[in-house]
Amino acid sequence: MPSKQSTPSVVVVDDEEMVAGALRTFLELETPYDIRDFTSPREALDALGRRPADVIIADFMMPELDGVELLREVRSSWPRTSRILLTGYADIQNAIRAINEAGLYYYLQKPWDNEHLKLVVRNGVERSTLVNELDARITALENVNQELLEARERLIRMFL
Amino acid sequence: MSDAEVEEGGTLASAVNADRLATLGMLMAGIAHEINTPLGALASNHDVVKRSLTRLHDILADDVVDEQELQEVRKIVRALKGTLRVNDLAVERVLALVGSLRRFGSPDRAEVDRVGVEEGFDTALTLLRHRMGTGVEVRLDLEELPPIECFPVEINQLFMNLLLNAVQAIQGHGDGTGVITVRGRRCGDGVLVEIQDTGPGIAPKLQERIFEPGFTTRDGRVGMGLGLLISRQIVDRHGGSIQVRSVPGEGATFSVFLPSSLPTDAGTP
Repeated sequence: MPSKQSTPSVVVVDDEEMVAGALRTFLELETPYDIRDFTSPREALDALGRRPADVIIADFMMPELDGVELLREVRSSWPRTSRILLTGYADIQNAIRAINEAGLYYYLQKPWDNEHLKLVVRNGVERSTLVNELDARITALENVNQELLEARERLIRMFL
Repeated sequence: MSDAEVEEGGTLASAVNADRLATLGMLMAGIAHEINTPLGALASNHDVVKRSLTRLHDILADDVVDEQELQEVRKIVRALKGTLRVNDLAVERVLALVGSLRRFGSPDRAEVDRVGVEEGFDTALTLLRHRMGTGVEVRLDLEELPPIECFPVEINQLFMNLLLNAVQAIQGHGDGTGVITVRGRRCGDGVLVEIQDTGPGIAPKLQERIFEPGFTTRDGRVGMGLGLLISRQIVDRHGGSIQVRSVPGEGATFSVFLPSSLPTDAGTP
């Protein structure tokens, strides 16, 4: 059994408890991920602060913070989280706003198809994992590069 | 109600009917959307139940359940429990919507009955939920009120008109967000209801005219200008009174007094 920390994490936010609950139930059954659902965008942000997620699915129309505002905050604090907007409104203006402001990974329409949702979430987790790995490798390369530079400095000092 | 008003609007019953149909027409897209939300949740759950059954079927196919399969069964049971909770919420939501549509639209509610005014607010607020979106907050402050003798279909229309008026006042003003406060108190031999909005308010010289035929500030759209006129006529027929108080820039408050019994000359609709 993988530890809680290494299991990919998905956060679902919809002010309608029945929607958040339905998404959570389906994803828990059909994916190996750790699923957390919230009806309050603020509570979701607090929870992300305690443990970031690989994927976030947010409803568009919510009180206190709409989906685009929420995903914009997620983008600035946790840029590696794949951001999915779920909306009941086929509204091109909001879609454009979401893509531009929140750097959207995917735009899903209600009512959603479970099989499609599963695919989108799985790809989102994969994308997030790859970005994390890339970051880790870049950091490792930078460290090695730094060590080489230091070794070069030492060699130059030895011979001059 | 004067004879002239009767002449202008036909009988009150047919005016209320036309107003009701106009309101329903305007709200229909939102109501469809409101039904779509629980329907989406139910459709997802239905899919979860189907997937669960297929998996259980596969597990039981060889008549042996090993430890790993037992884990799987536990997971399926958790998912099925999850669908029950969501189904309860979804069914409750659809029932409330259908109940409100029937109360608002059914002709048998045109008979005289003794009902609480809360029913009128519940009905209207359920149908207005989508229209109000996330920008209009409703605060209910209702004492326990005695039921009143009334024509429920008219009282439902009255509260719908006043709430819709408040919603439109808020949405057409500033950033489109605001608060509607609904207060209900016992008042002598009847009930006093107040609907207060945080919209732009009404200029003093217009306050006398808003209950007149055809008065509207909303570009004279069909069915929109008659709401307050019909509201006053409904209140008159119930032997009550309606007033508006407003300071421009600070919203408006509509007060409705309804006696506990209909006047003897209220007649049939």
